[in-house]
Amino acid sequence: MNATRRWCGLLATSVACLLVAACSNNPYPSEEQNEKIQYAAFSEAPRTLDPATAYTTSAHVITANVYDTLLEYHYLNRPYELIPGLAEALPEVEQLLDGRTVFTFRLRDGIMFQRDASFSLNDNDTDSRKVTAHDFAFQFARLADPAVNSPVFENFASITGFRAFRDLISERRQADEAFAALRIDQQYEALGGVPGIIVLNELELEIVLDQQDLQMLYWFAIPFTTPVPWEAVVYWDGEEGRERFADHPVGTGPYTLSVYDKQFRYVLERNPMWYGAMYPEWQAPGAVFPTDITQEDVEARRVNPEYAGRALPFLDRIEYRRERESIPHFNKLLQGYYDSGGVINESFDAVIDGDRLSPAMVEMGMALDQVVSPSVFYIGFNMDDPTIGRTAGEPGRLLRQAMSLVVDVEQYLEIFSNGRGVPAQSPIPPGLFGYDDAYSNTFRQVDIDRAKDLMVQAGFPGGTDPATNEPLKLTFDTGNTTAQAQLRYKYFVTAWRRLGIDVEIAATTYNKFQEKVRTGAYQIFQWGWVADYPDPENFLFLLESGSARSATGGPNTANFSNPDYDALFAQMSDRPSDDERLRLINEMIALLERERPWIELYHLEDYILRHEWVLNAKPMGLSYPVYKYRDIDAELRSESRETWNQPVRWPLYAIILLMVAATVPAIRTLYRERQ
Amino acid sequence: MFAYIVRRLAYGAVTVLGVLLLLFVLFFAIADPDDIARQAIGERASAEVYEQWKVNHGYDKPLVINAEHGVLEPGRYTDTLLFEHYRSMLTFDFGRSDADDVPIAERLRQGALPSLSLTLPLFALSLVVGVFFALLVAFFRDTYVDFAVLVMCMLAMSVASLIYIIAGQYLIGLTLKWFPISGFDADPALVIRFLALPIIIGVIASFGGDVRLYRTVFIEETNKDYVRTARAKGCGDARVMVRHVLRNALIPILTSVVLAIPFLFVGSLLFENFFGIPGLGAITVEAINGNDFSTLRTMVYISALLFIVAQILTDISYTLADPRVRLS
Repeated sequence: MNATRRWCGLLATSVACLLVAACSNNPYPSEEQNEKIQYAAFSEAPRTLDPATAYTTSAHVITANVYDTLLEYHYLNRPYELIPGLAEALPEVEQLLDGRTVFTFRLRDGIMFQRDASFSLNDNDTDSRKVTAHDFAFQFARLADPAVNSPVFENFASITGFRAFRDLISERRQADEAFAALRIDQQYEALGGVPGIIVLNELELEIVLDQQDLQMLYWFAIPFTTPVPWEAVVYWDGEEGRERFADHPVGTGPYTLSVYDKQFRYVLERNPMWYGAMYPEWQAPGAVFPTDITQEDVEARRVNPEYAGRALPFLDRIEYRRERESIPHFNKLLQGYYDSGGVINESFDAVIDGDRLSPAMVEMGMALDQVVSPSVFYIGFNMDDPTIGRTAGEPGRLLRQAMSLVVDVEQYLEIFSNGRGVPAQSPIPPGLFGYDDAYSNTFRQVDIDRAKDLMVQAGFPGGTDPATNEPLKLTFDTGNTTAQAQLRYKYFVTAWRRLGIDVEIAATTYNKFQEKVRTGAYQIFQWGWVADYPDPENFLFLLESGSARSATGGPNTANFSNPDYDALFAQMSDRPSDDERLRLINEMIALLERERPWIELYHLEDYILRHEWVLNAKPMGLSYPVYKYRDIDAELRSESRETWNQPVRWPLYAIILLMVAATVPAIRTLYRERQ
Repeated sequence: MFAYIVRRLAYGAVTVLGVLLLLFVLFFAIADPDDIARQAIGERASAEVYEQWKVNHGYDKPLVINAEHGVLEPGRYTDTLLFEHYRSMLTFDFGRSDADDVPIAERLRQGALPSLSLTLPLFALSLVVGVFFALLVAFFRDTYVDFAVLVMCMLAMSVASLIYIIAGQYLIGLTLKWFPISGFDADPALVIRFLALPIIIGVIASFGGDVRLYRTVFIEETNKDYVRTARAKGCGDARVMVRHVLRNALIPILTSVVLAIPFLFVGSLLFENFFGIPGLGAITVEAINGNDFSTLRTMVYISALLFIVAQILTDISYTLADPRVRLS
């Protein structure tokens, strides 16, 4: 018995010791506390980091910092402005008489790839090499390669011979096994590469487009067009314990990916081979903090003016920890263990007071950034549908107009997003050329009486379908079956019910929904678009007939096809942003207002909280976070964490006392009864 | 007993084959290989890319019968998805994830340690705490301690695990600041810090059910003659409870305990997800959310397999706990 007691005592003491030893809520090693590390969270790891295919915000968090591009966005200036990155200067643009466009880039001499084992393919003693124009040509060939399956193939299809290269390589691989067995760079070389990508010499690259396409410039600021070493693609093949290239990025950027555990954590660390670190004397625009800092940014604590002209980057490391659920993530932000993050619905009222921070947050030194991202969310009508689409003619148009008039997006945002979001009047979001704050879409103002009149004019009085004498039946198709999504859709259905229309929500699996979209078997749907680049063309093309989903598989899921719109789009898309372009855009928006292929809902608005120790965190808006400009006051962070996270131990002692107090009388009573 | 074990193993093997058939029907009825390929690589790829992906992932074969082979050729049945499904699962060659091409075996290897580091101590502590309190209330039966603990158990059983997690994170993690709210670090110096909160919450969440079950068993035993005899012989209360009652109550405890063992290996879906522990439970949730059929299929198969093995072990353990039990 004594032995049993001893064991019990030992066990209880061990557990107590372990708990006391563990009694700290700091999730990071204490020796890191004064280091310049930014702590952030991710909820889901990206499927790929291959710059030819990575097309999600979660992937861009890594790729935008590991892969440098020819051009970049100016960190502070708005509207967005392109500056040279790996290129010495913005490219020379030449319009040829035959309608072609030529961009000529000159690269900085001496740019190196990060250190990586793959470079041993050249020479066993080598762990890096110089970037040349061939590395860009290699990546363009990858974008065209059907085996790589880049989602942006169509966006580069205006490059001379781009489509032909894809067909040619596909044919050769099928016809010639010896060719298919060649190393990937040798395959591209054997075919002469993409004809429109011309390597003039090691440092000069010419890109020839078959047409005028000024928007192409923006693509040179996106990691799709980064230089990629063929060695990395060949070496990191996923065989014999090696990672896949899609999980092992090898770039030229300011950071390298040193840890990549998709389930748990990834780490970006300073790249000592980055051109900014190797050649500070260049004072390259992408390697120093901008000097043209506005007073507005300083007053909003977005930028510290003392940083003007200083060499980048400032952070030594960016630590990403996986947080699968939003509540623990947010709570750790409040404890100071994450440096910045969004505001969750559950805590919105505690954080936001009106449209500013609550006093408690202000006391913590938090700052709030309200960022409207270049995006648009909308309800779309399938214009191929005989009831509500193009072929329904005038009644179809009137029906769409009526349905548009009863969707109260302000109330919708209030209910589902705590009012976060800017009600959309047109596809173009705030901050982009063509957005007019004063513009009010006459079919996006709630007016039930007018909607009912339109229903009568459309031949559906009181929502009754004359063919059946019953309420008009329509279907809202979705691939989202979650309860939260159903509630959102029910909001729309309830609004349309006020017109007497019976809209059924057809929620199916993702696959089934995609199948419906492929075959055109859908009527109404909700969709969204986040811009690739900050130009109105990147929104208005969503309704151009050349992008119609039914005809081309493109992103025009509403299958809107209107010759007048197409003509205006053709004139607008490649114009510089001048008065004429603005006139064309306004005409297109007016046409959309009348035709109603969409019910524009809102432009996404993010509320980002950041602690006062986060410096120079001006939000980019675009989905390419750039960490090289950011800094952390690690000392202030450490002090704040210390102050905010002192464990409260008295409840533990109280529980122990309570348990003893509760048990002792029972023991006494029992023994008294036994005696 | 040997014959019994052989027979149980044979039953187990048949059950595994049945489970595999059910899995095949369920998974391939939900999505055909074309859908799986589209989901993995997006909607805009060429037919050639989809085909290559299907070849790489072994989805390029017909479901049950391969008409390219003659009726008498074995390839008619072996060169099919059904055969490949059985072959890969029975040889533990799970292939690559549909979502990101990572070898599933590697993912399981990575996830096993975090899962076990959570579930093993949680299981052991829940058992110790449950048995201890059950013995205590059985000892103090019909006193206010017994009544109070029973009420607490009923209350505890009425609350969903999710509430314990959210309330525990708020109270212990955010308000009292004893442990990190969530996260994981395999570093031995930090791992206890991350596991303490989920383990405490897990023990509290299972407390009600465990204590109620064990108490019933113990009280049934304390009413038996041998307990009275032991007391009459002058055995102390603690000795009677631990040496006699606990030992004789082991069979029902063993049943619940051994059957819980498979779930230790496949992790806890809820706890791992909420506490950010990169274990097998979290991998399963991710596979569900990401429609990663190959990973999900593997996890369901492994769970079924472990459950079958645990059932056999339960039966065998009865003879160890109670020599009177004979397996035949």
